[in-house]
Amino acid sequence: MFVLTCVPPQDVQGAVPLNVSIAAFDPGVPEDQSLHRDLEIFPRIREIEAMLLPFALRQALLDTREWGAVRIVPEPDDGAELLVTGSIGQSDGQDLELTVRAVDASGRVWLEKTFTGSPDSKQFHTVIAAELADARARLADKTLSNVVEISLLRYGMRLAPSAFTGYLNQADDGTFVIERLPAGNDPMLARVKLVRETEYVITDAVDEKFQELYAEIASVHELWREYRRKNIEYQNSNALRALETRSDAPRGSYEAIKNLYDNYKRDRIIAQEQDSLAVAFNNEVGPRVEAMEARVAELEVWVDRKYAEWYRILEGLFEAETGRED
Amino acid sequence: MSRIHTPLVLFLVVAACSQQAVIQEDMMRIDGAMPVNLAGSWERDYARSDDVNAALREAFYQLSRTSPDRQFSGNPGLSQPSSKDTAALLALARLAELITRPDVLTISQNENEVHIARKDDFAMLCAFYDGVAKGTESRYGTEICGWDRDQLVSHLVLPDGLQVTHRFTISADGNALRVVTTVSSSTSRMPFTLQRFYTKFERPTPDYKCIETLSMKRVCSTGELVL
Repeated sequence: MFVLTCVPPQDVQGAVPLNVSIAAFDPGVPEDQSLHRDLEIFPRIREIEAMLLPFALRQALLDTREWGAVRIVPEPDDGAELLVTGSIGQSDGQDLELTVRAVDASGRVWLEKTFTGSPDSKQFHTVIAAELADARARLADKTLSNVVEISLLRYGMRLAPSAFTGYLNQADDGTFVIERLPAGNDPMLARVKLVRETEYVITDAVDEKFQELYAEIASVHELWREYRRKNIEYQNSNALRALETRSDAPRGSYEAIKNLYDNYKRDRIIAQEQDSLAVAFNNEVGPRVEAMEARVAELEVWVDRKYAEWYRILEGLFEAETGRED
Repeated sequence: MSRIHTPLVLFLVVAACSQQAVIQEDMMRIDGAMPVNLAGSWERDYARSDDVNAALREAFYQLSRTSPDRQFSGNPGLSQPSSKDTAALLALARLAELITRPDVLTISQNENEVHIARKDDFAMLCAFYDGVAKGTESRYGTEICGWDRDQLVSHLVLPDGLQVTHRFTISADGNALRVVTTVSSSTSRMPFTLQRFYTKFERPTPDYKCIETLSMKRVCSTGELVL
């Protein structure tokens, strides 16, 4: 049985509480594997961070009580009322650099900005949430209502394109405007709403899987970040030590050359210790993430199959009801 | 913080080549699989390895033969090396002895990497991406590697012209490993070389499996490991 985990819209302040979909972030891992060590990127851990970070942003958005349902989704949905995507530029335990983009269903870009700061700070995500709230406040209620309508119509266009042709117009810049609206009692609209609600149940089930994962591995991830912070401290203290112990011994003496070798040795040992910690993190977290990914993949396959089925049924119904074949 | 920069590595290769070609560019490329497999646990064969004092005596002998002062000495073939030359060579010998002290090497190897773990020292890593060796560079030095036919060569370039080179050669039967370590410096007229031999040994297979974790440290189980 699926459990809905989102904040019900009636608890929300504001006239038009938009639903927000936060897609798992882009981990920002270069394809060129030879750069990973150079940039101190641990690809698997970055991928996990890309799944975890949206939760902090979701919480910050929920705390404002200005939004409808805030969902974490595995893939971006362009037709979401408000879609938030992110790309990690840097994440080393001490500093986080995250580029956030928020686009509503009409294609209007609300926010596109790179945020930097400490990932520990709650303020990091609060600032993003505040910027989204500011962007929302700049829009009239009618515009926001249109976003909700456009989102539903775009969903309808994907599910039953024959029935939903002509309601929206897409401008050259990719944005959508409403040309006309279906009747409030349009049976096809009612069916699409029903299908969408069903898909939301699945989305929320996926979201719940993400939450379970987050709850399971957040503490281990925090440990990893703590180790990475310590590692950076070790690197800094090694640099200081190298500077302070710059040997006064004559150049070429045993003390002088041993010092040069030891500086390199310590630096490499610190880097290799970090590699070992990354392996330890993967050992501990990897199986849980893989199990979650497998479950989400199953749900997605189910949705894809159902989607194809819904498409076929709705198109067939439209044809039967209107006698048209598009 | 470690950094890998191919252009800088190539520059260092060229710089190193200007004196003596330690790792040439063609050594940093492999076409397909690694030439030989060095993987395994290796323990020092003390009987076959160089004695440091003997190697040092030989090095002093060579130093005295090449001493610029020998033409002024009574013996046209030999001359007492300067105290500066002696001290510089002795320093290299001590460092070489320190570096080659580990009596066990644990080498793991896959299609992209050779990883040589040593007790009390950093693990040497020779990584190839798309068949090209990538060096490791930090503010403290640069490590490059390559294959000289069936020899793995690791070359470490440190400040003040200090260089450490290891050449790994495995025997035809795969049971012996020779590691030739050369330490050189711009402050010494002569490098110092030590040769170590290692014999392959099998680590006993434990009755339990262990993995490292972050929150529970080392976790072991006699059955399947489930976290």
